Amino acid sequence: MAKKVLVVNYEKCSGCRMCEVVCSWRHQQEFNPAKSAIQIVTLRDKSVDIPIICQQCDKAMCQQVCQPKAISYNSEYFAYIVDEQKCIGCKMCISACPVGAMNFDPDKGVAIKCDLCKGVPQCVRYCPMGALEYIDADKISIKKKYVVAEKFFTEILSAKSLHQVG
Amino acid sequence: MDKKNSYAGKFVRVNLTNKKIEVEPTPKKLLREYIGGVGIGARILWDETDEKTDPLSAQNKLIFLTGPLQGTLFPQSARYEVVSRSPLTGWWAHSSAGGFFGPELKYAGYDFVIIEGKSEEPVYLYIDNDIIQLRSAKHLWGKTVPETNVLIEKEVGDKQVKIACIGPAGENLVRYACIMSDYYRAVGRCGLGCVMGYKKLKAIAVRGTKGLGVADKDKFDKLFNDWIKRYTPEGKYWEHVSAMRTYGTFALTDWENAIGRLPTKNHWTGYFENAENTIGMQPLKNNHYKRHKSCFCCGIQCKYVSEVRKGKYKGTESEGPEYETVEAFTSNFLSIDTDALIRANYLCNIYGLDTITTGHTISFAAECYEKGLLKKSDTGNRELKFVDKPENSKKIMETVLSLIEDIVYGKDEFSRLLQLGSKKAAEVLGGDAWKYAIHVNGLEASGQDPRPHKSLGLTYAINVRGADHLTSLSSLDELGYKEELLRRYGKKLVDILADRLDERYKGYLVSEMEEFYSLVDSLLLCKYGTMWPPLYYFDDLLDIIPIFTGFEEYSDPKELEKLASRIVDLRRAFNIRLGWTKKNDSLHPRFTQEPIPTGPAKGQVCNLEPMLKEYYEIRKFDWETGLPSEEELIRVGLQDVAKELKKKNKVVKNPKIPTTGRKWVHWSKRIK
Repeated sequence: MAKKVLVVNYEKCSGCRMCEVVCSWRHQQEFNPAKSAIQIVTLRDKSVDIPIICQQCDKAMCQQVCQPKAISYNSEYFAYIVDEQKCIGCKMCISACPVGAMNFDPDKGVAIKCDLCKGVPQCVRYCPMGALEYIDADKISIKKKYVVAEKFFTEILSAKSLHQVG
Repeated sequence: MDKKNSYAGKFVRVNLTNKKIEVEPTPKKLLREYIGGVGIGARILWDETDEKTDPLSAQNKLIFLTGPLQGTLFPQSARYEVVSRSPLTGWWAHSSAGGFFGPELKYAGYDFVIIEGKSEEPVYLYIDNDIIQLRSAKHLWGKTVPETNVLIEKEVGDKQVKIACIGPAGENLVRYACIMSDYYRAVGRCGLGCVMGYKKLKAIAVRGTKGLGVADKDKFDKLFNDWIKRYTPEGKYWEHVSAMRTYGTFALTDWENAIGRLPTKNHWTGYFENAENTIGMQPLKNNHYKRHKSCFCCGIQCKYVSEVRKGKYKGTESEGPEYETVEAFTSNFLSIDTDALIRANYLCNIYGLDTITTGHTISFAAECYEKGLLKKSDTGNRELKFVDKPENSKKIMETVLSLIEDIVYGKDEFSRLLQLGSKKAAEVLGGDAWKYAIHVNGLEASGQDPRPHKSLGLTYAINVRGADHLTSLSSLDELGYKEELLRRYGKKLVDILADRLDERYKGYLVSEMEEFYSLVDSLLLCKYGTMWPPLYYFDDLLDIIPIFTGFEEYSDPKELEKLASRIVDLRRAFNIRLGWTKKNDSLHPRFTQEPIPTGPAKGQVCNLEPMLKEYYEIRKFDWETGLPSEEELIRVGLQDVAKELKKKNKVVKNPKIPTTGRKWVHWSKRIK
């Protein structure tokens, strides 16, 4: 099976935070964005919303700094997963994460990390705007290329004939 | 987390006079009998104020309420409600906003916050989970809404803090100032920002990281996907959900104009020629739409940011405008200048003004000017006209825009007069001015007209907070939801009910909507999803309320009816205690006596009486006095209210209830 990854279409996110609540409900059985593995940062004075997601890095710093080896890679789901039994709550993974995606559960005293919901990411399933996608890693930018191509066509090519552009 | 329901479980009482802050468990009885939102707000306001409580006094209360849905995964769980006595109308006031403030309050651990007393110095309330502090707001006083947000975020060092605040309009006691949360979401109507300003409370800033649960987890999981489906192409009303997601409430401008119900020139008519091509959904989408936004955890997603791209106001950017604002600052002045509209929306947002009352108070003055009741010398030299030719829109709207700012700061005598709203301003002006103050019970009519949409006439007349569209409006006739009418009321009534111009059965329909929305505003669900489009109805509430609250009795329609009536009757009782009588259940003569002069509904007036009779029949009000029935209050569990009203001679033992001869099966006997 091809490796799959979670990607964000930043221009589509409306900042509704449904992903956060779904994530906390599915994983923690409570409605609590503070315990979600995905979190939206809203630059409110600019009305812009940016979801911060775990990138499941190929060289995962969270795994490398973890002393009790609580973070392991699951090659079936292509996700690094926190073993709550092994996690000692040292929070080194949170410091090491280059994108700030790691989170912490103060009640259980363990790190919260995106596990891609065993291959069926719930944030993707319930995002009303289609801002999140779970796609093959080797096709990661094809969709974007089409968006750019469409834009290129409507803004540049359609105004002139092809040979004029050439 | 061992939550047995979706309530936060505690509430906060803040006394601004002695700076005392109390946290107590939310009484189970209060939750059980009133659910949340307006329900609980009505109970507290009834208990803790009386007819001597001046809206602008330390004794008046200002209550910020959530309900069982806030902060949960229910796909419309954003709203919070504010309840008080209105300084604009003098009557009962409720108003709500979406965004993120309501859910955050519950994540902090609180179902509601009661504000009482009055501070000497400006303060703001800061809540961070268990930490609750009153902090000085001297440095925030005078700041606009966005400035206040940025300063508080910096001060508390947390950009996730959610803020409800007032702008300079509330500080300067403009009677229709609103409370703004999450920068751009307005607790708009009835002047609750003015109450906050009087109490010298600049803001409430909340941060919460606690979790919430549900009473019935299995049933929640089972129904969640069914609810979600309603917001997808598989849903029955996908076409409307999709229109809201694409255009927001802009979409209404075209639809309302098509039925002759788009308020135009201070409610003179309901049709604005060429609106579709000038101020309609397509021009606004093409020329001003910038980015999509949403409230917390919403399936509909109707919010957006809009901007001005050229000319004098280039760079102006704000969330909205909603349909009501579009109407108030375009067709209301006969203007096609949408740049001025975006600017007006922005100004109202940053200063904290209700766009509806602001637009309609200024258009009231414009009509007085047109009719010669106001001269240029009276208006501080402002040429306050309606737009005579479309190409003059820009110039005339410039005057309106500068007047908005003058009203906020009370720059001169005229702008200070307009700070009072149209009803009181008309009283000051005297003479015929009242004819042009298009309000019901002190609240300016919103972006509707009862002449082409008869049931709305009753909505305006009986609403506890005056002429608004959110307390009992039926969209089923307005927008022609025939399939839904058929499902709810059967074949016999569907054509009569669907006919916007037919008054028959509309009293029953509006009464049902009032009961429905009393629950919607207590839970708190959004009107988008319950009014337009009609995604949810009473049968859904029979599931929803027990799932979240654990109050199983509300899966029985009979008990649900009592709950709805308890809230409706208590709010009415609040107004009755203040002196509301049958005379108040009336409409402005513009709607009952002046036939609509142009457009698809030309020639129509609203005939209120037949609808009022049906409404009184359902509510069991006394036809002569408008007073409630003692037995009915007792039946719905308001024994103490009946007792107090009885002492004041404001309840009737055997009310004269009108009969209409029409047959109507109450929803509680229809649904299962």
